[in-house]
Amino acid sequence: MTKTEVTDTEASLLARAQAGDIDAFEQLSGAYADRLFMLLLRLLGNPEEAGEVAQEVMLRAWQGIPRFQGRSSYFTWLYRIAVNEANRALERRARRPASVSIGPDELDLPTPRTDDPARQAENNELRRTLADALAMLPPPLRTAIVLRDVEGFSTQEAAEIAGVTPAAFKSRLHQARLQVRAAIGDDALIAVGG
Amino acid sequence: MGFADDHQWSQRHLSHYVEGDLSHRARSRLDRHARDCAECGRGLRAMRALARLVRGLDGLAPVRAPGTIFDRIRPAGAGGSPAPQTV
Repeated sequence: MTKTEVTDTEASLLARAQAGDIDAFEQLSGAYADRLFMLLLRLLGNPEEAGEVAQEVMLRAWQGIPRFQGRSSYFTWLYRIAVNEANRALERRARRPASVSIGPDELDLPTPRTDDPARQAENNELRRTLADALAMLPPPLRTAIVLRDVEGFSTQEAAEIAGVTPAAFKSRLHQARLQVRAAIGDDALIAVGG
Repeated sequence: MGFADDHQWSQRHLSHYVEGDLSHRARSRLDRHARDCAECGRGLRAMRALARLVRGLDGLAPVRAPGTIFDRIRPAGAGGSPAPQTV
């Protein structure tokens, strides 16, 4: 299938979804469901909560799709809703007495292959520290580092998804990196990733 | 500008350097300082390592979205048009 055919299919599904065809909406959005769920998992760190928020994202997208004007791609629009809903969930969580952090099992770092048990233990420790450092970031900073560094979006795309200007996005990204670097420490970073 | 000024400025701009956001002149300033400053040289290596480590999170095994992801739109939306609500 060529890129043009894919685009035509998405355009056709979009038109039908905007006209109220729920099957077309599910097909259109379902193509991005796995990636969207992964983003929510990275932002929220909890599979159950990510699943609940994913449902809310799809509900909001379904309710809002008649007004989608195509200024961005559908994918970007959907991701933006997901980031907004994740931030709302994090705000709700912050108001609760016991918060759930992003655990190392959810934010699993690839571990360099090594037969040295001491080195393996260091790697595992760094994975936990990185997961904790990301979880401690304020939601806008966490969103910035996840979109740009983990998901690999360009600054322009990531800023659009986050709903801020590229300059503001860069500022958040740099702050996020500085805070994570400070939390982990230069020596530990260089030892494993340098 | 003295060493201390360059040091503070460099520490604040390590991420900008790694991201390629510095002008040629600013990049040269940080390069010059990092050659003489062990702490900033180490900071630069650490920032590069951090970028690689966080990027590595994308190498996770694919995760499937739960099959319930559309459950909330079916009861309200089945057979009808989307409700006009604010996103």
